[in-house]
Amino acid sequence: MDLYGKMAATQDMKGKGEGGDQNFDYMFKLLIIGNSSVGKTSFLFRYADDAFTSAFVSTVGIDFKVKTVYKNDKRIKLQIWDTAGQERYRTITTAYYRGAMGFILMYDITNEESFGAVQDWSTQIKTYSWDNAQVVLAGNKCDMEEERVVSVDSGRLLAEQLGFEFFETSAKDNINVKQTFERLVDLICDKMSESLDTDSAVTTGAPTAKLTDSAPPLQQPGCNC
Amino acid sequence: MGQTIGKPTSNPFQNSTLFSSLKRSSSSQPTCDQNTRPSIFSTLKRPPVSKPSDFIPLFNDCIYAASSRTQEYLLFKDPEDKFHPSPEVLTQSVNLNMTDTFNCTVMTPEQRILLGADWVWAVLEKPTKNPRIQIAVQVLHMQEREDTEENGITPEACSESLQMAQKESSNKSTYERLVDFCTSIGKDCYALFLFFGKKNDKGNIYGVLSNNFEAAIGKCNNIDRTFIENFFKGSRVKHFMSLLFLLNC
Repeated sequence: MDLYGKMAATQDMKGKGEGGDQNFDYMFKLLIIGNSSVGKTSFLFRYADDAFTSAFVSTVGIDFKVKTVYKNDKRIKLQIWDTAGQERYRTITTAYYRGAMGFILMYDITNEESFGAVQDWSTQIKTYSWDNAQVVLAGNKCDMEEERVVSVDSGRLLAEQLGFEFFETSAKDNINVKQTFERLVDLICDKMSESLDTDSAVTTGAPTAKLTDSAPPLQQPGCNC
Repeated sequence: MGQTIGKPTSNPFQNSTLFSSLKRSSSSQPTCDQNTRPSIFSTLKRPPVSKPSDFIPLFNDCIYAASSRTQEYLLFKDPEDKFHPSPEVLTQSVNLNMTDTFNCTVMTPEQRILLGADWVWAVLEKPTKNPRIQIAVQVLHMQEREDTEENGITPEACSESLQMAQKESSNKSTYERLVDFCTSIGKDCYALFLFFGKKNDKGNIYGVLSNNFEAAIGKCNNIDRTFIENFFKGSRVKHFMSLLFLLNC
């Protein structure tokens, strides 16, 4: 089994073997990264709590929330880490990249500098994470059309160049928030399926059920999300 | 996050070792004696802040008010034995914000576990409002109070996410986590261990502030409550004197 399969299995066994809510099949570690004040915390609050406040409180270090989603009758627990965008916290935030299965790399469509920093954040992912981590690029604050300085096409083009999926989002107006997370989960599941396929073919030469198949359920350590 | 505390009309602070250096009027100078280092708050009066004296007296006064009120609760015993202020409530009592120059960010329950801080004070740089100096504060209550309600978190409130946070941080103590957090930021981030009462002085608030606690790790010392309390005895102060500020001048 490759690293992807191992991570999912390990996380799963942890969830079932120790305290806390044990009602889940898989746990995915996700990170939201990007420049300060692009709306990472608001984005997470909208997704996890369906709440929004315009008051800005700069995140100190790192924080996280947990949300459970369902996919093909499997319960997937998302541990979503909200990172501080300020440079002074870079040491502590990059320490949490390890083991992350997905990233939401966020910029602010009204802030050119935050868009210009996307390439650097992408490099950070490559440096501190692992090759199979999935990334979605999110251009946040798309409700502020009058203040837009980054076009949709620019965002889409950059996402293509970097090999990321792309959404424009608004935590304030709840636009594409859920879709961004759902797409990221899909990408991770697809990747897990590929990894298990490859792993199984290499080790046994036998065909395996894909992660994206809906039935029948695959027993651990395989998965079927 | 946090709350703004008004400037008091008098100085109610009578006894605290930690904040005694702040017992001065808004216009007076610090009164540290010659043998003690200046408090961190007096170092904030240096450039490049344009008008550094603007907020420091106000900050001092806010601290006087908040800590004085906290002190009242440290020794308070309800004659009817019905009122028991929790550590959580006391911990939240010294949070204050002064827009533009100084802010206080109260940590979420998960952050309190992950980072070891109850709140973080920051002196802000103008006009970016990025922190110029930070003080990450961890409140230590008397042992019996901690035993009653560890970390201020009741078992009922110990949610799944808190358990996850504890799992993430299980290999280090809360003291070490605070030191790690400050170290990861750099020398402009200070760790402040704030004692709400000590064994022989249950009604006072004491504190140890340093941006070099990590040196203890290099000297093979475990950072625990005993280690921090030893700073008050002075025996270990010599090792870290260059960067240690005991706020008892």
